[in-house]
Amino acid sequence: MNNKSPVIVFIGQPNCGKSTLFNSIAGYKAQTSNFPGTTVTHVHSEVLWKGKVYSIVDLPGTYSLAPHEPQEKVVLTHIFKEKPDLIVNVIDASLLSRSLELTLELLELEYPMVVVLNMMDLARKKGITINVEELEKKLGVPVVKTVASRGLGTDVLMETIENALRCQTRSIAPCYSREVEKRIKELMDILPEDFPIVANKRFTAIKAIEGETLAADKFISEHDLAFKQELDRLRQEISALRDAPAYEVISAERHHLALKIFEDCCRVARPKVSAIDKLDNLIMDPVLGYFFLLVIFAGMFYLIFKVGSPLETWLLKPWESIRLSIESHFGRSLLAELLVGLVQGIGGGIAIVFPYFIPLLFLMGFLEDVGYLARASFLLDAFMHRLGLHGKSVPMFILGFGCNVPAIMATRILESRRDRIVTALLIPFIPCAARTTIILALVAFLLGPWWALGFYFFNIFLIAILALILKRWFKYDSPGLILEIPSLKVPSLKSIWQKIYFNLKEFVRFAWPILIAGSVLLSFLSYLQFDRLINTILSPLVSGLLGLPQSLGVTLIFGFLRKELSLLMMFQALGVGYGQLMTVITKTQLLTFVAFVSFFIPCLSTLSIIWKELGKKVTMMSVALNLSVAVIVSWLIRLVSSLF
Amino acid sequence: MFGRKSHSHNAVRPYAEGLCSLLEVPEGQIFKIAEIRGGQGLHRRLLALGFHPGDLITLDNEAIMNGPVLVRNLTTGTRIALGRGIAQKIMVEAAGSDEQ
Repeated sequence: MNNKSPVIVFIGQPNCGKSTLFNSIAGYKAQTSNFPGTTVTHVHSEVLWKGKVYSIVDLPGTYSLAPHEPQEKVVLTHIFKEKPDLIVNVIDASLLSRSLELTLELLELEYPMVVVLNMMDLARKKGITINVEELEKKLGVPVVKTVASRGLGTDVLMETIENALRCQTRSIAPCYSREVEKRIKELMDILPEDFPIVANKRFTAIKAIEGETLAADKFISEHDLAFKQELDRLRQEISALRDAPAYEVISAERHHLALKIFEDCCRVARPKVSAIDKLDNLIMDPVLGYFFLLVIFAGMFYLIFKVGSPLETWLLKPWESIRLSIESHFGRSLLAELLVGLVQGIGGGIAIVFPYFIPLLFLMGFLEDVGYLARASFLLDAFMHRLGLHGKSVPMFILGFGCNVPAIMATRILESRRDRIVTALLIPFIPCAARTTIILALVAFLLGPWWALGFYFFNIFLIAILALILKRWFKYDSPGLILEIPSLKVPSLKSIWQKIYFNLKEFVRFAWPILIAGSVLLSFLSYLQFDRLINTILSPLVSGLLGLPQSLGVTLIFGFLRKELSLLMMFQALGVGYGQLMTVITKTQLLTFVAFVSFFIPCLSTLSIIWKELGKKVTMMSVALNLSVAVIVSWLIRLVSSLF
Repeated sequence: MFGRKSHSHNAVRPYAEGLCSLLEVPEGQIFKIAEIRGGQGLHRRLLALGFHPGDLITLDNEAIMNGPVLVRNLTTGTRIALGRGIAQKIMVEAAGSDEQ
């Protein structure tokens, strides 16, 4: 091998565990969940194994090499443009026969290839026994068994990869029935000289036959009419074999070949109805399912509050006393101001963010890995349609409760741009972990849990109303739901912990320093009395319209960076500790402020991801929408409370 | 959206004679996919998901309020949720006695 590190791509159908396998080899780099389509773009990592560097690429899942969805096109670009040195085809062993259809398609590429049977534990539970030697013989490529979620089999996989790279044996394309093969050969022979060959002649010919009505076909007919006529004739002949379109005949060939291989290599014991299946039926039940849905989310909220709130009280105490002792020691000097800012920044992170952030991440990770998101999509599809949305966007909304940024990225799995825009406009209204923290830490902690729960439900209600309004704006035509429901899985703690660690690292590396720096900066500004200038500028909005203390104006600037900053800065700006907050502002003012900050503008990272994904126009729309909603809602809160 | 389907399953016509759509069959019984109607896009998508004519399928579940239906493909062991408009385009026939 030369000094350039070999490129290895992971390809497989959605939700077969490519990213989990990738993570267990490359360290936690790719987001994972038990929902098809979690990876929307490729993730790349250099891996050092036994003194050699390998360049490994994790691609989005694809059901076939004739892509329908945007993220599936990423796969094709990678295979054909980047020319990988080795393909690792990851298979969900519990869905072997279906997954083999893609494997057969990949074999046609005749690249060096390794097949990974992942989720062997799940296959065993389903009563499937796989004869690996037999499968290797049938496919003609090495087959490795893994359980990626537990890191089992990854060493063997790396060894096999190394071996396969050394031998450079190319895979051999599968053989179809004689009549079909005859036509493929015929087409291979008449491929024009200048025809763009992809991978090899046979693959190109098959794809040309399958490409009916696809963009490539139009290109061919414009270029070489004689060839196009021949192509159409062969298609018709193939089509006549089974009385179906040519692409279906070829697909059926693969289907039957896959079933045959499956039957030859596997034994399926009569599956027992396990406890998990019973549970599955229960949570998908057309009536009880909704009850469980409600219980799960209300329970989650309650649990986070129950864990977070005593922890918060306990963690706040030392920071509060440090702050008081600084004030009594140094008076109102610059040093004291800066120290207090520092203490509040550090303490705010530890005492306010962590107690809620970690439990929320844990429960979200749990729901994701169990496979509940796809089930929630199934249950909520009908409601979503009434709101002019797609059941497929349910997981994005649920993801949004963790952080809006990945939720907006995930909108890529929606087929239509219209759905993407509407979903991306609504996601910023979902209380993410940062905002949930604030709602819990301020509203629940200071006003009581019922207020917080009420605020939460109001928030969801607001999203529904906005969806209805947006539906009037953007014409809605429903493409209908097609979503694979993955098996329920017992999640591995390791994988959940990796997710928490991943998010926590982001918080500690980026958000917390900003929080601390912001807090110190604000102290400095207030020492120089510079904050008054900002406050005066914002005063018509802050005190005029919202009826809040003028000094809160400056916190909005920070809120644009990160939502939780506004609320933490609130103490700094008002010059009080956590305990005395309610002595300087009223209940109404607190609610108005929380509502305004929650909605007023998506945070910087959310805005930049909207910009990146959907462009300037949508970003501007998002800002305008958020700003108007924030003003209206907080003004309404003020109005309603003034009536009582 | 696609018209209300009567939920009384006894109103099902004798399906042994011919085809009927996935929306018209009772839950829990085994049927064979006879034909997938509808546009090419849908057709290709379902093929890619491993739903081919000839496969044995069963209707697992239906969501309320004209929500999607849950279909299990017994031949390949997969499960997908399909919107009603799509389920309507999948035509099934009674499965022969050769089913396991």
